[in-house]
Amino acid sequence: MRAPFRLVFEQRSETPKYLAAVVPIASVVAALFIGVIFLFATGYSPWETYSNMFQDGFASSTGITDTLGMSTVLICTAVAAAFAFQMNLYNIGGEGQLYMGMLASTWAGLALGPHLPTFVMIPVVMIIGALAGALWILIPAYVRSRLGTSEIVTTLLLTYVAANFINHYIYTSGSYFRAPNTMFPQGRLVADSARLDPFGTTNLYPTFFFVVLLALFLYWLVKKTEYGYKIQVISDSPRAAKYAGINANRTTLSVMLISGALAGLGGAMLIVGPVGRLDPGITALGYGYAGIVIAALARNNFSAIIVSGILFAGLRTGGEKLQISTDTPIHIGVMLQGAILLFALGGEAFRRYRIKTIRTKVVAQ
Amino acid sequence: MSSTSHEVAQGPHHSGGAAPSALSAHSIVKRFPGVLANDNVNFDINAGEVHTLLGENGAGKSTLAAMLCGLYQPDSGYILRNGERISLPSPRAGLQHGIAMVHQHFKLVERFSVAENVVLGSRDLNFRIDRNTIDEKVAAVAESYGLPIDPTAVVGELSVGQRQRVEIVKALYQGAEILLLDEPTAVLVPAEVEKLFENVRAMTAAGKSIVFISHKLGEVVEISDRVTVLRNGQVTGHVTGKGSANTKELAKLMVGRDIDLAPQRASHPIGHEILQIRDVSLTLNGVDVLSNISFNVHAGEMVGIAGVAGNGQRELADTIAGLISPTSGSVSIGGAMSTDKGPIHARELGLAYVPEDRLGVGLVPSMSILDNLLLTRDRDFVVDRASLQPEASRLIDQYEIKANGPEHVARKLSGGNAQKVLLARELSGGRTATKLLVVCSPTRGLDVGAIETVRRVLDDARSAGQAILLISEDLDEILSLSDRVFVIYRGAIVHETPGETADLATVGAAMAGLSSTTSEGHN
Ligand SMILES: Nc1ncnc2c1ncn2[C@@H]1O[C@H](COP(=O)(O)OP(=O)(O)OP(=O)(O)O)[C@@H](O)[C@H]1O
Ligand SMILES: [Mg+2]
Repeated sequence: MRAPFRLVFEQRSETPKYLAAVVPIASVVAALFIGVIFLFATGYSPWETYSNMFQDGFASSTGITDTLGMSTVLICTAVAAAFAFQMNLYNIGGEGQLYMGMLASTWAGLALGPHLPTFVMIPVVMIIGALAGALWILIPAYVRSRLGTSEIVTTLLLTYVAANFINHYIYTSGSYFRAPNTMFPQGRLVADSARLDPFGTTNLYPTFFFVVLLALFLYWLVKKTEYGYKIQVISDSPRAAKYAGINANRTTLSVMLISGALAGLGGAMLIVGPVGRLDPGITALGYGYAGIVIAALARNNFSAIIVSGILFAGLRTGGEKLQISTDTPIHIGVMLQGAILLFALGGEAFRRYRIKTIRTKVVAQ
Repeated sequence: MSSTSHEVAQGPHHSGGAAPSALSAHSIVKRFPGVLANDNVNFDINAGEVHTLLGENGAGKSTLAAMLCGLYQPDSGYILRNGERISLPSPRAGLQHGIAMVHQHFKLVERFSVAENVVLGSRDLNFRIDRNTIDEKVAAVAESYGLPIDPTAVVGELSVGQRQRVEIVKALYQGAEILLLDEPTAVLVPAEVEKLFENVRAMTAAGKSIVFISHKLGEVVEISDRVTVLRNGQVTGHVTGKGSANTKELAKLMVGRDIDLAPQRASHPIGHEILQIRDVSLTLNGVDVLSNISFNVHAGEMVGIAGVAGNGQRELADTIAGLISPTSGSVSIGGAMSTDKGPIHARELGLAYVPEDRLGVGLVPSMSILDNLLLTRDRDFVVDRASLQPEASRLIDQYEIKANGPEHVARKLSGGNAQKVLLARELSGGRTATKLLVVCSPTRGLDVGAIETVRRVLDDARSAGQAILLISEDLDEILSLSDRVFVIYRGAIVHETPGETADLATVGAAMAGLSSTTSEGHN
């Protein structure tokens, strides 16, 4: 039996500009649609769930500030991922680098905080967090640039090591980082001088504006500077880089270190912002992994990451609040996150190919 | 222009109107953003015929061929196969209609054997592959067209000419009746071209049709039954009948004016030594790639290095350019030692280098013409693209590069136009005023008009006192431009002769390793 027509993928010679916007939006819509099916199947009202999510994520005043607050770290881990991805370096260990950034900046907040004023402490904590993130990717970066060892494996494995590190410091009794008298293991709050105040009673911190500027700066760095130019040459054709005398090893190393530092900075922002201590709950939140999805959705474009990061944060805050306000499963948020990634990656096919239906006709012999 | 009607060996007579053409394209239009690549093109080919597409760089030849095999789809127009309308949504559909294209960049898996590559992608493979059977089948197909290949050889170890043969056998194995060969001879040495033409004759004798694309007019005259000339996407001329037009006429038909490729030599006394190579030897992975090479190139002089590909030319050029450190010996540019100091240092000493590979080495495919101009220049921390814009536009005009402007992405240029961008950048000076120009196969893939331009530019550079090292497999080019000619064979210089009195036969013999006068006189 033959179908009367067939789908064919035809390679596009040029990707139309509008698809750059359409594909990510369609990915989100498609993911929401998959969510509808799941909600239906499990007996919840999709309409009610989504409108609650939207209400809690974007439409209410606490919703929008919560969302922007949440997006701060997500944007940071997303630019960390994108910075490496744009050079085909797959640092998927942003999660682990974020843990280490958090650990180091907590140390700074605890040890140095009592002695230094806020205007010194905040930059110090952020720098130390970034350095720790860079340090955590140093080995993967070095072996990648010298020996070509897959950074995917090494960065991922080091994430588990980092998770054990912070668990160790939280759960070991008498640990420097552990609060002494709590019933459940909990980290010690860093000194006040190492914390920023949120705006009013919201969960939005000034770090949000910092991270937006950071993303715009990275956009400029990549598009307009000689460093970005080198990255583009190396990622497209290593042999052309060699011909032009561009040192690919050194650039690979630096790009990965910067990627790690940005993820570590995300950890530091949690400390100076909403968290303020080594919180055992961090490993359940997956900020580092979410950054990968946001970067993919934005196709590693740093200014687009600001938008996709906020969108994503909205899904998350909306999803989290569902659990409180209704009995909807909170995992709908996490599920949507996974579905969006799949559709965003699948959407690449639409950017590269045109899909046509052709009528099948028996070939004349 | 004569257009003697000519009886094709076995194919149906196309003007008789009895049998329809094996393949014909009608009113084909193909537009790329900003370019009309094919403008109402009509084309047809009969069984047993060689029909050549001729035209300037960017005229639309590859685009037309790509539509005939299903790689691109026309915006409008239609295609008939034996008089019946067909649609070709993909190369696979093309194959089902017996149409296959051999691209200039081969698409073979280097680690696979010849037979494995040939059967790859054919629909009749079983899950378990019986090597002996496929080896026999592949050998049988190859043999029947006089294309002997060893089915068990690993493709990665074959020469370019042999790989091309594998591509052709693959097309035949898959049942191709119509073969599109896009500049097949650009990568071949003369002996291989002869071999290819024997194969082409064997295939046409068996009733196959060949669409041939080449810029080498001598070849076109030799092999074509018919020629169609394209210009700016339009058909502007036809020549019918084997050998009924000479190369001069074809050139004129193509570019609309007479072409002058007369020999050119240094017109004034040459200056002091710019490039000095002393006893350079190179061993890579235990193989001696270069042995004891010594020579000088003077200001205002062009030295040509002739040789069959793979005899160390590329490594010699890379060594001079500072990309490879020689195992022993030294290189100096303008009196300053440049050995082991890297490519940027060499460029600061006044080197410009046109490498053999354009896209991927000389040019970054995903970047614009403008950004590609920046590749070998000094770049500020904040890249100043705006101030380069006028120069980029000027170079596009000067070299007649067919592009939408400085933002045109290199990957989307036609083959010859990409080469022109590379030449434009290297010949226009970069970090410092150019003193030494190393050019590898500068006119490969260029149309005759562009060849004329490039030769003039090279000659001007020589007259301006630059030292030029021309490395090419194109013996004609070497002999008609160089002041001195060296022949490189197995990494050593085996023959030296003044360009003016160079004898084609002697140089050819030296290239084949049949030289009696081994290295002397150039130390
Ligand atoms: N994928 C593409 N996108 C945009 N423009 C293209 C693309 N491919 C070809 N072109 C343009 O179409 C025109 C015709 O190109 P084509 O490759 O057919 O030329 P050609 O005759 O084969 O030239 P050459 O002899 O240099 O190989 C050129 O101006 C080229 O820049
Ligand atoms: Mg072409």
